[in-house]
Amino acid sequence: MARSVSAPRLTLKTREMLEAWLFVSPTFIGFLIFFLGPLVAIFYYSTTEWNLLSQQATFVGLHNFQNALLENPDFWHVVRNSVIFALGLVPLNMALALSLALALSRPFFGVVFFRTIFFAPVITSAIAWAIVWKFMLQGEGGAVNQMLAWVGIDGPNWLREPNWAMAAVIVTRVIKMVGLNMILYIAALQSIPRDYEEAAKLEGASRLQIFRMITWPLLAPTTLVIMVLTTIGSFKVFDHIYQMTGGGPENGTLVLAFYIYQQGFKFFNVGYAAALALIMFAIVMALTLVQVMLRRREME
Amino acid sequence: MKTAMKLAVSTLALCAMSTLALAQELRVTVWTGSEAHLKMLNGIAAGFIAKHPGVTVKFETVPVADYTQKLTFQVAGGNAPDVAWMMEDAAPAFENAGLLMDIGPTLKATEGYNFDDFSQPAMALWQKDGTVYGVPFSTSPFLIYYNKDMFDKAGLEDPNQLAAKGEWNMQKFQEVAKKITEANPGKWGFEFKDGEGYASRMTHALLPPVRAYGGELWANGQCGLDKPEAVAAVKQLHDMVFKDKSIVPPGEQGDYFSGNSAMTINQISRASKMPEAGFKWGIAPLPSGPAGEAPVIGQAALTVFESGKNKDLAAQLVAEMTSKDNVAIMAQFFPPARKSVLESDAFVNSNKLIPPEQMKSVAAAIVNGRVHPSHERVPQIFAAMSPRVDALWRADANVEEAVKGVCAAIQPLL
Repeated sequence: MARSVSAPRLTLKTREMLEAWLFVSPTFIGFLIFFLGPLVAIFYYSTTEWNLLSQQATFVGLHNFQNALLENPDFWHVVRNSVIFALGLVPLNMALALSLALALSRPFFGVVFFRTIFFAPVITSAIAWAIVWKFMLQGEGGAVNQMLAWVGIDGPNWLREPNWAMAAVIVTRVIKMVGLNMILYIAALQSIPRDYEEAAKLEGASRLQIFRMITWPLLAPTTLVIMVLTTIGSFKVFDHIYQMTGGGPENGTLVLAFYIYQQGFKFFNVGYAAALALIMFAIVMALTLVQVMLRRREME
Repeated sequence: MKTAMKLAVSTLALCAMSTLALAQELRVTVWTGSEAHLKMLNGIAAGFIAKHPGVTVKFETVPVADYTQKLTFQVAGGNAPDVAWMMEDAAPAFENAGLLMDIGPTLKATEGYNFDDFSQPAMALWQKDGTVYGVPFSTSPFLIYYNKDMFDKAGLEDPNQLAAKGEWNMQKFQEVAKKITEANPGKWGFEFKDGEGYASRMTHALLPPVRAYGGELWANGQCGLDKPEAVAAVKQLHDMVFKDKSIVPPGEQGDYFSGNSAMTINQISRASKMPEAGFKWGIAPLPSGPAGEAPVIGQAALTVFESGKNKDLAAQLVAEMTSKDNVAIMAQFFPPARKSVLESDAFVNSNKLIPPEQMKSVAAAIVNGRVHPSHERVPQIFAAMSPRVDALWRADANVEEAVKGVCAAIQPLL
């Protein structure tokens, strides 16, 4: 029984490659349409003066950037607010996360309970979180000021005084997000071999020395990741501000992401909002690069 | 084969018919999601459908907080609704962008419509140089809601009793608010509209007293807040917040509807919240001031988009929805702008929650009331105003300087 076998039209390699493309294509097409597309579009939009309502887009070159960086005083006020927010939030968040992780990385009775308690705010709705805090931070009837009153402190009207409002949004945001960094630190701490610590103990090192000379350096890669992610997150903060202060009082908590939202979705200046978003991207990118470079130099 | 042919032909015919039917669907965006409101609107639409076979009408609810934003994005995305419920503050921007159709000719050509029946002040925002951009179907005055129990407890006459004696004015308002606050520790005499007087409703907080004193927020491209009448009004409010402590202060929650404030300003649609409130209540006119009575109204109108595929049909739908009969039906929820309906017994008896004599003051306020000043750049004006108004609402603020600051911030935008 002789059967004629026709030669395969495709080589095995080509077929495999085609199959591979076929399998990745749903994701790849999605990536092109929903990620790369908008990313490219935003560069175009940023060069137009586009009022959504009148549907007129005029090419204005770099005018939007020039206006934001050189002519619009609000922009620098907003950047300043974002920087203050980040400067307050990142160190506080990281210090608290590390302290919690150090306390909760070793097993003891009830450790899971405490980890859950500190992680729970991370998975709580950001809006619900902000609303509850808004109530707790009321000037007279708020729980926070009532507690302060018990110890004889006359608390401020937290969300109505610009400086206190900024402090309040930073601290409530830290409590909300610290659990995530805590988990990252716990994972990193648990991956440090115990032998190092034991060896150091045998050599007579104190706990502080062990932390300084062993734990902290070995946590460096995690610290970098956490620092970068938290910084990016702090520049992108929107929901928290939107619900708690709406950028007020007296624009004291008007941060960059909220300002972009205002320009794009309240004033419908889509081109200007796109330019601001690109500026924010550049700022975050620059900060990330600086952090990576500093860390690299430290390690050398 | 023959059967297959028949099947194919009838399928094609059905397809064609369904496309035709689809082309005749009118989409109406509204902000209400209330079952009762939608049932009423669908009932009105049924009458229109009966006269126009093959047409369907679909009401699409868009939540009020995002309403104008979503409408704008629908328009920008080439998917404008046929008919939209347009809020007063958004109207000038849509009008000036040339997005709205002139529905005047359709309305005037509709048999029995009687366009002149609409109260002229109510139409002011929707007509320009003979062009009609919309028909107000909700012209809702600002009213004082009061907690009768709290007034009784403090042994005070309520605002309606005071109004009947002609004593319901700004001075009396301050006086009773103070007395009630003193009689109800931990509660307040007055709460600004929706508790948002220091945020999204900052102008709604200022407008009624400013008008009662004879001032205006802005008019003819000029900021009015720094004028003496407005300053006097704002000073009174500032005193009430920080000296008398009779108005819920910034950063505090004192919800009227939960019984934490004795009075608030709101519109008639909020009456639906009152049966659950658990206290005796009433509505009264706004207190008058040195400039007499100055009713304020909030408005929404039905508008037709110029870019709609069925705009002529959509204009006819608006004519149907705002006919005399249908305006009378809608009056139970949305106060009418038709004089004939306002003056009718049907209107004063339309709201089961509000006694007829109180509804009469609603009707009077609609006829005489003026809307919030409008501007095509309202979002920008509010954004510029907001930080300056924050500065005003501080205990140690110099009111005169603070309102000058507000004017300096918004004048370039006016």
